[in-house]
Amino acid sequence: QHIQEDLNTQLFDNLVSFLRRSHSECQEKTTEWTCRMKSREIPAAALILGVNVMDHDLTLKSLSEVLQDNITPYIALLEAKDCPGIKNLMQKLMGQLMNCHIDVDSLEDEDYVQVSQNRIRCSMTSLVNWYKSVTKKTDSETPSKKRASSPRHGQSPPVVVIFKDMESFTTKVLQDFIVISSQHIHELPLVLIFGIATSPMVIHSLLPHSVSSLLCIELFQSLSCKEHLSTIIDKVLLTAQFPFKLGEKVLQVLINIFLYHDFSVQNFIKGFQLCIVEHFYSQPLSVLCCQLVEAKKRANSLSHDQCENIRRLPSFRRYVESQVSEKQVALLTADSVVKEVTQQLLEDLHVYHENYVSVLRCLHVFTSSLPKYPLGKQIRELHCACLENQVWETEEYDSSLQLARMLNKSDLVTMLQQCVEILVSSSGKEFDKTVEKLKEFLTQFQKLEAEAFQEQDVSISSQKELRKKTDLYHLQKTLLELKESRRSKKLTKFEMLRFEVVDYIDSLVRSYLVPADHKTLHEILYFNTASVLRAHLNAAPRTALHTALNNPYCYLKNQALKPDGGSISNKAPDICIVYKLHLECGRLINLVDWLEAFSTVVMAVEGPHADAASSDQVDDIIHARFIRAVSELELLGFIKPSKQKTDHVARLTWGGC
Amino acid sequence: LAKKNKEDKMTNLVEEYFEAHSSSKVLTSDRTLQKLQKRRLNQQTLHDLLKKAPLAYAAEIEELNQQHVSLFSKWMLQLHLGFNIVLYGLGSKRDLLEKFRTSVLQDSVHLVVNGYFPSITVRSILNSVTEEVLDHIGTFRSPLDQLEFISKKFKEDSSLELYVLIHNLDSQMLRGERSQQILAQLSSLPTIYFIASIDHINAPLMWDQAKLSLYNWLWYETTTFSPYVEETSYENSLLVQQSGSLALSSLTHVLRSLTLNARGIFRLLAQYQLENKDNPSYPGLSFQDFYQQCREAFLVNSDLTLRAQLTEFRDHKLIRTKRGADGVEYLLIPIDDSTLTDFLEKEDEDA
Repeated sequence: QHIQEDLNTQLFDNLVSFLRRSHSECQEKTTEWTCRMKSREIPAAALILGVNVMDHDLTLKSLSEVLQDNITPYIALLEAKDCPGIKNLMQKLMGQLMNCHIDVDSLEDEDYVQVSQNRIRCSMTSLVNWYKSVTKKTDSETPSKKRASSPRHGQSPPVVVIFKDMESFTTKVLQDFIVISSQHIHELPLVLIFGIATSPMVIHSLLPHSVSSLLCIELFQSLSCKEHLSTIIDKVLLTAQFPFKLGEKVLQVLINIFLYHDFSVQNFIKGFQLCIVEHFYSQPLSVLCCQLVEAKKRANSLSHDQCENIRRLPSFRRYVESQVSEKQVALLTADSVVKEVTQQLLEDLHVYHENYVSVLRCLHVFTSSLPKYPLGKQIRELHCACLENQVWETEEYDSSLQLARMLNKSDLVTMLQQCVEILVSSSGKEFDKTVEKLKEFLTQFQKLEAEAFQEQDVSISSQKELRKKTDLYHLQKTLLELKESRRSKKLTKFEMLRFEVVDYIDSLVRSYLVPADHKTLHEILYFNTASVLRAHLNAAPRTALHTALNNPYCYLKNQALKPDGGSISNKAPDICIVYKLHLECGRLINLVDWLEAFSTVVMAVEGPHADAASSDQVDDIIHARFIRAVSELELLGFIKPSKQKTDHVARLTWGGC
Repeated sequence: LAKKNKEDKMTNLVEEYFEAHSSSKVLTSDRTLQKLQKRRLNQQTLHDLLKKAPLAYAAEIEELNQQHVSLFSKWMLQLHLGFNIVLYGLGSKRDLLEKFRTSVLQDSVHLVVNGYFPSITVRSILNSVTEEVLDHIGTFRSPLDQLEFISKKFKEDSSLELYVLIHNLDSQMLRGERSQQILAQLSSLPTIYFIASIDHINAPLMWDQAKLSLYNWLWYETTTFSPYVEETSYENSLLVQQSGSLALSSLTHVLRSLTLNARGIFRLLAQYQLENKDNPSYPGLSFQDFYQQCREAFLVNSDLTLRAQLTEFRDHKLIRTKRGADGVEYLLIPIDDSTLTDFLEKEDEDA
């Protein structure tokens, strides 16, 4: 657990800091702009934040921090849910501004008392004269603020009000607030920042012309959430820094939830967190999932049970089977041998990761420049493809290799150069040179470059020749020669190199991008049970109810409940029978008929054992059971009582579910 | 391919919807429960009867429960890591949560919210948090203020921990937008842990993205198949005698205590209403006509006495007056015809 929490904090610090950084650019701009703005109208900044509302919290919080640090303004952050009316809005605003005062000036009680007084007074003021009180408050507020702060900052600092979710504010409140504050703009320099989830059009639809003319709006665009995702994946998943890794399916699920459901980075992080929890909770060998040095230490002090666990891993078994027989015996019996081998294998895994990431990046540079992106545009797609199975066996990989072979024009050389540069920097920065071949690779590229230069020289010289001889015959001859030489000499050289390079990359891919599943002991580092994740994050309660009602055998393992082709099994629990009967009905259901049908079905079961004498009591019991089942269906929301006809209920679902 | 399949399914669903709702005319038989020669069961007898009926597949259900119980320690871990847990699936999850409470939460501060209880409100939840957990006596102007207070307290004192178990988070009283918002904010506090159960098929509709992120749910499927005893006891079913409308027993009870003339007056009105029961536009008996009839039967001797009598009926909710389009007062008995027939039959027997 300790490791896990460490990991957690480590990861999330990384994520948060990253998010901060990505916003900082936008923030810088806004800050600068708030400093600059001092005009007659209320300056307003519209931040277009995108539909992932949950992530905005962090953005706006860090924005207010940045603003606070630059000691320009006092900041109040208003949320729509706190401000159903203008009264609440003003209250909240005052409260936050006063608190800001206290925070910044670190003054004590005096102001605080004032705050509470203010609030109480505000509560007393009736709804009728809220307007008066609001103006009074603002008036009394304004001079005090000026007094308090002006001497320190030289010029009166603007007061920034951030509206967190512009769309969910009621128009009236917003309009009133803007109109009111526009009247006090001379005494109280206000700056408004709107957080907008959709598009800037919403300002105009929310605010009529008369109000929006009081504002001086400037638009700011924040990064799209997709870019966030790819950078997060880049920074967190594709580093050798964190020992914990995601399996292919899990990653797919997370990305799908992100792309098809909510675009929320926070949810992605939450899912990731859940993966970590689940991994460390369910996998007994996850203690070894830490940095290499630590892992080796732990591997040394493994208990016997843990060794048994290791032996039980499928990947380890595969490894054992591939060994010679004496070694097999040793592996299966002696713990010390297992420990030794485990350390060795863990080290292999780490080395594999380091190589994997760099080669993956390299391949990405290649494939992302191809037309039509057969292997995907983003590095995450490539990553998924590599994790899924052996990438060189896929059609996409074949086609991309073919494309790479054809595409190699001389301008592609510069592109290759670029990716070499990336690799150099990454190999220098991210890991100590474990991959000696990279250098080889580099020199080959350099040669290629030199080759290109040579060719250039050749062509230049030939052109010079061409200029010298003006004879028509000679010209023709040299041209032919030129052509010939180009075809024979240059092309072969170039092509050979090209093939060589591509083949080399191919071999590189083959050796380094082996999917993690094929590695021994990958279970320790990889979390690969996507079903758990899907069930907990993206649950479908309706489907669960449906299967439980339709096919109780899924849950109750009784032979009597085995489904037999769609017909109503009369041995199912009451509610299932009632549900099945209700499925056969239209929009309205007659309760009497329903009851009759139910009792027919149930009687078929009871029939053999029930005596005729007690039929009245049985009847009552069946009636009671029916009532219970129907009210349960009502509770579940499948039916509701209908007033259209006496003793009818209306069905709320349609079709099969 | 999968996508296309899904699309197909979607269009099918859409078609099914319109099929189900296409014809405004619904063909069902006209039989009603009244015609069924059987007494209606009331809550008590229903309960007794159900107790007699054996629970089917008890062993299998027990096995299912065991599976869920084995998850308890995992839930605790996840709760402490900032997730909240929501349980869904068929069957009452009350016993399961109760077991969780008794086995795991024994000696920690916890709060149980019975969402199915028809008079529960968010305010009462918040009150129990402030009064019993925080020992704060005092009232708050709005739930929002109260929430602020709670969150301040909890943030100040990180040793304060509270487990909140909510049965039926999707019940009638709690499904409103505002109450969900408040509960979501409450659940987002780091030291308050939520475990809730939902049953309604459309329960997830009440959460938007913002609320979902506040709740930070982890979904657990806990299909128990156990009957919803407590939950449905408040659900007024059509088949059970409703306590809200006037029952035969209460009707006779009230009339027993009246004078003979008063009983006669009511009888007269009832008879008249039954005679007109097939006339859908029957507005009720006008006061003047009624007065006339009562005079003829020597039940009243003046306008005033009849009015006094009617006032008494109205106080016991035995009659309802309605003003017609012409300004005349019409009298109606707000009881369904069958009960009224039963009543008259009984009266005849007694007489």
